[in-house]
Amino acid sequence: MADPDLDLLRGTLDLLILKTLSWGPMHGLAVLRWVEQVTGSRLQITEGALYPALHRMEQKGWLGADWGYTDRNREAKFYKLTAAGRRQLVAELSKWSRYTEAVNLVITAEGAK
Amino acid sequence: MSDASKPGRPKLFRLPTARHRLRRDIDRELRFHIEGRVEELVAQGYTREQAEREVSERFGDVGTVRNELEEIDTMTHRKREFGEWRSALARDFGYALRGLFIRPGFAIIVILTLGLGLGATTAIYALLDAVVLRPLPYSDSDRLVYIDHPVPGINQDTHWRMSQAGYFFFRKNSKTLANIALFNRSEATLVTPDGAERTRAALVSDNFLDVVGSRPYLGRAFTAADNRPNAPPVTILGYDFWRQRFNSDPQIVGKTVNIGSETSQIIGVAPPTLQLPDYQVQIWAPLELDPDAPAVNSHYLDAVARLGPGVTIAAAQAEAASLTSRLPEVFPRAYSPGFMEKTRFSVMVASLRDTVIGGMSRTLWILLAAVAIVLLIAFANVANLFLVRSESRRRELAIRTALGADRLHLAGHYLSESILLSLLGGVLAVGLAYAAVRFLIVLNPSSVPRLAELSFGWRPLLVTFVVSLGSGVLLGLLPLTRVAVGGTDVATLREGGRGQTASRRQLSARSALIVAQMALAVVLLAAAGLMIRSFERLRSVRPGLDPSGLLTFDMSLPWSRYGNARVRGPDGYLPSFRFYRELTQRLSALPGVTNVAVTTAIAIKDGDGCALVFARERADTRETAPCVGNVLAGPGYFETMRIAVRGRTVTWADMEEKNGAVIVSKALGDRLWPGADPIGKELRPNGTDGAYYHVVGVTGDVLTHGLDQPPTEIVYYPMMPMEGAPLWQPPLHVSVAIRTHADDPLSLVASVRSIVSSLDREIPIANAQTMETVVAKSTAKATFAMLLLAIAGGMALVLSAVGIYGVISYTVNQRRAEIGVRMALGARASQVGRMVVGQSLRVAALGIVVGLAGAFAATRVMQSLLFGVSPTDPVTLVGVTVLLVTLGAVASYAPARRATKVDPVEVLRRE
Repeated sequence: MADPDLDLLRGTLDLLILKTLSWGPMHGLAVLRWVEQVTGSRLQITEGALYPALHRMEQKGWLGADWGYTDRNREAKFYKLTAAGRRQLVAELSKWSRYTEAVNLVITAEGAK
Repeated sequence: MSDASKPGRPKLFRLPTARHRLRRDIDRELRFHIEGRVEELVAQGYTREQAEREVSERFGDVGTVRNELEEIDTMTHRKREFGEWRSALARDFGYALRGLFIRPGFAIIVILTLGLGLGATTAIYALLDAVVLRPLPYSDSDRLVYIDHPVPGINQDTHWRMSQAGYFFFRKNSKTLANIALFNRSEATLVTPDGAERTRAALVSDNFLDVVGSRPYLGRAFTAADNRPNAPPVTILGYDFWRQRFNSDPQIVGKTVNIGSETSQIIGVAPPTLQLPDYQVQIWAPLELDPDAPAVNSHYLDAVARLGPGVTIAAAQAEAASLTSRLPEVFPRAYSPGFMEKTRFSVMVASLRDTVIGGMSRTLWILLAAVAIVLLIAFANVANLFLVRSESRRRELAIRTALGADRLHLAGHYLSESILLSLLGGVLAVGLAYAAVRFLIVLNPSSVPRLAELSFGWRPLLVTFVVSLGSGVLLGLLPLTRVAVGGTDVATLREGGRGQTASRRQLSARSALIVAQMALAVVLLAAAGLMIRSFERLRSVRPGLDPSGLLTFDMSLPWSRYGNARVRGPDGYLPSFRFYRELTQRLSALPGVTNVAVTTAIAIKDGDGCALVFARERADTRETAPCVGNVLAGPGYFETMRIAVRGRTVTWADMEEKNGAVIVSKALGDRLWPGADPIGKELRPNGTDGAYYHVVGVTGDVLTHGLDQPPTEIVYYPMMPMEGAPLWQPPLHVSVAIRTHADDPLSLVASVRSIVSSLDREIPIANAQTMETVVAKSTAKATFAMLLLAIAGGMALVLSAVGIYGVISYTVNQRRAEIGVRMALGARASQVGRMVVGQSLRVAALGIVVGLAGAFAATRVMQSLLFGVSPTDPVTLVGVTVLLVTLGAVASYAPARRATKVDPVEVLRRE
């Protein structure tokens, strides 16, 4: 089940979506399921955050959207990374690692004597 | 793709459809999500109801999310549309630009034609803007008025200026005027160690700076004490003069200069912008004004006043009129009721700006109308070119339409091209106009006021931009009218572009343009023709003197050394006379010089004033005596000017004898002694009670007031008043005329200057110019209007010729097949040729008829510009008609020849 302490940090949602979509086109529900599955449901994204984020990234040109059919022949809106989205993912990843490194440096440092 | 983006749907209906589509897609996406979640839970063993509750609990409020998404998507949609629009625009302009490089001929003709038409309009508008529309360079200048006195009893158009007594009277009693000041344009001699120099001076009353809302840049303004007679001389330097001649000396205030051989203290420097209208003042000095002096009926002062708060010009006028009507009771000696009645002495309060601009406003508006007509004609030509091209592009248009281009796309395509072209035309126009205005400033027509202030303002640029943008839009929409009337459809494609049927409508549109063009050309050419005719009339007027080979200049003798009439030299001469006599002798000795004369006024160049004259035989009183010009002419004046004189002229001997010999003009002789010979008759000026001068000669008619004025009534008195009637001092401000064989009289100036300065190095010469220049200046306004109208008329003529040639030539091409058939059926070449020329003449004739009607209405406004020609002068109108009929025939000659060369066999084979 969801870990209520692991609230999504601001700005990381974009990174999660970009990374998830880097595996291939997906509809919104699939993105959600993927994140839950990979984190063992420790990270939960709410629909109220996911969809606006998807649409906003579409507006920014990071994502392209097309209507298509699922395996079970249902019509769904599929998102995929655009070239700009791919560049954005690289940028966000490096930003994230620099950020976590910095945080780690602080929290693993020896206390001042 | 969704089905909402059908081509051809007008934009108006697209936005709501787009919103509807966005909303529907959002619903679909969210519904899919919720459905999927529910199915997931059902698969895990939930009942459907439980699953739905669970999902909706986790989802939160669907409505909020939906609204948020809709907002985002609407923005996305707008951004996308804008981006598409922008790239379409860039693409269209790119195509347009490329197209122009591929077919430069079309582009060059359009740009040149529009550039010329717009350029002429821009130039005249820039002139109008600078001269008429822009306010005068004084603060709150709309509140400034000019006051003078019309005297319709003397002459319909004559205005007298303000008198000293009138000024103090108005200043004291007016409630509508906040303040009233006086100024005079004058000249002053500045003497420095480097020599003497004539400068432009302004003489003003103490409050002049207050009235025009200005303040000295350095030092102080004049005070009432400075205006008092015999006040110590003081001077305010003009800003530019201070910078150039005094090196911007910041310590200048308190220093002294020698002005007119008198020491004058510099009390200040005027601000940079302060000038008199059309007079770049170098030296400001106080007028001599005495509030206690007895009133004299002498009107020599320019009056400018500032209206009180909220006061209209009409209110000020009404008050000034009532004050003026009180003059006879306040100053009975100066303004007798008889005088008021005879002269119908009145007052006029007019906006200072209108006074400065004068009649030029009307001239410039007429010229603007003329160049606007040129622009319309140019535009008609370009429109015709676009129509012809849209015809040849019918196939392209049809293909585009068939491929699903909607009218908006087509509009974008055509508009980008036409706007690009007309904006380029506009750029060319601004360049041309700028050059034209520069040229005009160099030309410096003295008839145009405020030319010194002329600069290219932002308004002409804006107007040019708007007009060229507007014509671009119109030209771009022109081919689209074809789409609207269904001219392009699949039929065009099937026709293979060979069709002749669809062009009938096009042809009539083009003929209508030609008719309009011809009509406009008629109006413009009639106006130009009238101006040329009146200019000819003006040039053929004989002024009564011979202006060729004459040099004139002005000179001022300082009063301190030449003004005292009681001091005589050892030879018995007055110093001024000795100077004039010696100068005349020295100048006469110059090589090539035949005659020299000194006078107070040179015909046409200077005004000759107005003084009462009494003939001995007539029982005139002060009220009935005519007021005529009076000039003090030195010996040799008539010989030098070559003014014909019957009888004899006045010599130095007459002067020395003071025998009272005078010469009168023919017009005055006819008035004073109708039917009798004036020679031997006697007359006297106002103020000499007993002594009469006797007439020894009569001149021919002389037009001293300008070529468009009637012959002048004038008395030429000797410079030395006769014995026993010493009414005037020997003149100190004189003009000199020199007649020479030299090709260019101006080549004498250097020698003249050195002779004058060798006689007295403190006397400069000023305004050296040939008499021909003087005469040309007197007709400058007519010349200016004629020149510009003739240029506009010439442009109209050429453009119309090109226009009619283009259309006839195009028609011949279109009718090749028909002509071929006719010739195959036995029509002779001459018949075909006549048919083509006849078509051209029919269009031209229609245009001429419409144009003549327009000309009858339009040339009426030119009445004031014309001289000796009626606005409906038949010679002009017939001439214009003949000219344009010839034009119609000549322009169709080449196409007609081409028509006769059509080879029927070849044409029929092609069909």
